[in-house]
Amino acid sequence: MKKFSGTEPKAQHKGASDGATAVQERETTKLVGQSIPRVDAIDKVLGKTQYPGDLSRPDMVFMKVLLARRPHARIKKIDSSATLATPGVMAVFTASDVPCNEYGLIEPDQPVLCGDVVRYIGDKVALVIAQNEHAAIIGRERLVVDYEDLPAITDPRRALDSSALILHAAKKTNLLAQRRIRKGNIESGFTKADVIVESEYVTPHQEHAYLQPEAGLAYLDEQGRVVIETAAQWSHDDRHQIAHALGLPQDQVRVIYTYGGGAFGGKEDVSIQIVLALAAWKLRKPVKLIWDRDESIIGHHKRHPYIIKAKWGATRDGKLTAIQMDLLSDAGAYASSSREVLNNATAMCTGPYECENVWVDSRAVYTNNPTCGAFRGFGAPQVEFAAEMQMNKLAEALDMDSVELRKKNLWRNGSIQATGAPVPEPVGVIKVLEAAARAAAWPVKKSSSKRLETKKRGFGVACGFKNVGYGFGFDEKCTVTLELHGRSEIEKVVVRAGASDAGQGAHTILTQFVADALDVPLEKIQLVTGDTSEADPVGSCSASRLAFMLGQAVRGAAELAKEKWRTQSERPVKATYRFKPRPTTPLDPETGRGDPAISYCYAAQIAEVEVDTATGQVTVLKLISAHDVGKAVNPQQLIGQIEGGAAQGLGWATVEHFVMKDGFVMTPNFTLYLIPTVLDVPEIMNTVVLEDPDPQGPQGARGVGEMGLIPAAPALVAAVHDATGVWFDQLPLTPERVLKGLQSVP
Amino acid sequence: MAKATKTKRASVTVRGPHKMPVHLFVNRQDYELHVEPRRTLLDALRKDLGLTGAKKVCDEGTCGACTVIVDGKPVYSCLTLAIECEEKSIETIEALAQDGKLHALQQAFIEEDAYQCGFCTPGQIMSLKALLDENPNPTLDDVKRAVSGNLCRCGAYPKIFRAGLRAAEILRSKKGA
Ligand code: FES
Ligand code: FES
Repeated sequence: MKKFSGTEPKAQHKGASDGATAVQERETTKLVGQSIPRVDAIDKVLGKTQYPGDLSRPDMVFMKVLLARRPHARIKKIDSSATLATPGVMAVFTASDVPCNEYGLIEPDQPVLCGDVVRYIGDKVALVIAQNEHAAIIGRERLVVDYEDLPAITDPRRALDSSALILHAAKKTNLLAQRRIRKGNIESGFTKADVIVESEYVTPHQEHAYLQPEAGLAYLDEQGRVVIETAAQWSHDDRHQIAHALGLPQDQVRVIYTYGGGAFGGKEDVSIQIVLALAAWKLRKPVKLIWDRDESIIGHHKRHPYIIKAKWGATRDGKLTAIQMDLLSDAGAYASSSREVLNNATAMCTGPYECENVWVDSRAVYTNNPTCGAFRGFGAPQVEFAAEMQMNKLAEALDMDSVELRKKNLWRNGSIQATGAPVPEPVGVIKVLEAAARAAAWPVKKSSSKRLETKKRGFGVACGFKNVGYGFGFDEKCTVTLELHGRSEIEKVVVRAGASDAGQGAHTILTQFVADALDVPLEKIQLVTGDTSEADPVGSCSASRLAFMLGQAVRGAAELAKEKWRTQSERPVKATYRFKPRPTTPLDPETGRGDPAISYCYAAQIAEVEVDTATGQVTVLKLISAHDVGKAVNPQQLIGQIEGGAAQGLGWATVEHFVMKDGFVMTPNFTLYLIPTVLDVPEIMNTVVLEDPDPQGPQGARGVGEMGLIPAAPALVAAVHDATGVWFDQLPLTPERVLKGLQSVP
Repeated sequence: MAKATKTKRASVTVRGPHKMPVHLFVNRQDYELHVEPRRTLLDALRKDLGLTGAKKVCDEGTCGACTVIVDGKPVYSCLTLAIECEEKSIETIEALAQDGKLHALQQAFIEEDAYQCGFCTPGQIMSLKALLDENPNPTLDDVKRAVSGNLCRCGAYPKIFRAGLRAAEILRSKKGA
């Protein structure tokens, strides 16, 4: 196993190797494993990168979307006469203008434009298109919608009450999904336990707060196809959903992605794509749309709030005997990926710990709150917060070191998951925990820290894991085409892979894989990634999957291409390869048995905090992370991913307070919804990277995109407990909550 | 900014709502524009001049992505009116590289990989440029303070402040050379 520390890697540049042996030279020419600068680096520092909001066309017109801004209501009438009389306004579109008025990432249960009922404040009701943006805004203000308000379900605990209104009449229930795991015998598990820890955890909505708000430009191309230029996470699926709603064949729709200004799961669902396409298609004109910040916050999905009841038992010597979990997830108004997030949450709520007796009941319910869906971690941060809290509380109850307790129960090679399937090997979670503990000199004595009267310091640890790829029986694939141009020598390689890059660096590592697989220098590689009519479908940029899948697809395509190059005279050579990872299975609805994950990645974090007991302020002084990534394809970018994820995890646990009231978002801007600034991230962030190769991944690589976020919150809360003696079971730890918690102890 | 607003308010009659001429000096070039008095500098740059490097993220002074330099000071261009900038010198990210050569900050951002999505980058760089123009020997704290009004949701902060310090080093070594 190789290892390096995150503070070290610097950009390495290929230089002349004076006197190096042939073997060494060969080593240094391999790009996978090197911190080459991003392919988009120069444009980004020059301010030249075009994001969706920067696009323009000479004769474009502007669109504004009327959002419902009420949680639940019947639409009685929409009067657009004053809007249409507004100078500059060209058209108003409502539900009856949408050929097939439904969409959704997994299940099309969401209207493109609401015709009869609005189910949450972000529902779209009408589109106003005008010669200029200002006229569109005025026109939108003049739309008169006559609503009849309906009772709103805003507490997920009330969603299944017999008195609750059914949100989607056809479904006859507000229960969107339920799962269960029944492993072993839970009662005898608790009987064997010497200690039992029981708690209820509450995790909040989280806003993605990517800096680039949803935006795009749609128009018709020379062939009459409707083109949507935007940036999100899955161009081919966007195309599918647009074509479905517009009643067009797929080849009549082209989605072109520019670089994206952040996504984090929040651009996995369609937001503005269909309405833009609809307007351009109807008006046969280029139409531009940019959401304001509050439209973005109200209009796109959120991280699911979870209410988690946990009851865990262990023997005196620290062996887990029983894990019982009850998960309730607020899905909001539409399905989005709630069912899939619930799959993950169910399978992962035991943490990476082996236990013979597991009982899980989990439900996702419809409410009139904002729709929830993908957000970095996809259900794992919520349930692993609960699992890690339980482990830390058990350690306290058993008077045992929390690292030692974990090591007695953590998965190792040969371990069986709660779902009954063996954990894909190699299982590196003990190694990451040990590495983090070593880097932090665990167990850390508090006496070594300064203790001012009101400032208390403490340390906390947590582990985390996340599946790579979709899993749960999803037919996952990733297709890449390589074109080799030249005669005797390869002069140019065209890579056709519809991979979105919203900052994760997918395009850079794609070139690294191609360069190595074909032994060509970077300068010869040309990427075709943005255009669905030119690039192959690789699947979404999510689930910590792209490096893993792209690397394997490139390897396959390169082998085919090289073979053709050798054996055929025809040029250019073209080779397409579709990579399919090993199959997984869905969870059995009664027992939860199944083989849910292709592979897992692992991390452990140790946080040091300072709690100001006078103000309730929690400051994170230090965060040590250890990650098993299999292979660091680009170490410098990898550290960025990990540190960035950690910042979001710490934000979720502290400053990010998404406030809902009666179905309304009270924090629709960055004045009210705070995200970490440079002064909020720890002074010291130390990242240790382990490379225990995953035999399924390209050159051993696993995934890493989501991992940095997952252990951060429980590590922080454990540190706050270490400092103050108080457990906080509800996130975020706002100063008010901390003060209240501190007052509750004598 | 505050001072300019005050003197103008005292001496100038009501402006608008109609468009009015304004002369802007941006990146060492003169521009004559016709804008509504309520036009922000950010919109004037992005929409009237086609300089899209400065980004609109919040449009209300909470993120720093729209930061440009006006008379040597970093300002949120979404909180500045275009007409307030008459007679002032405006610098944007587009003019940082000169004669095909990257500015030290741009070079340092690449070397340190001080971004992911890059959406905050123009603002971060302009905030740091204003700092380095004024203080060639910044401390870590100076650098952090300079970008404390620039959000980065990708969380590239540790790398951003390393890039700020690195750029100062590059500039000093250039001067020394
Ligand atoms: S756009 Fe100006 S501060 Fe956010
Ligand atoms: S690099 Fe994405 S917001 Fe800073």
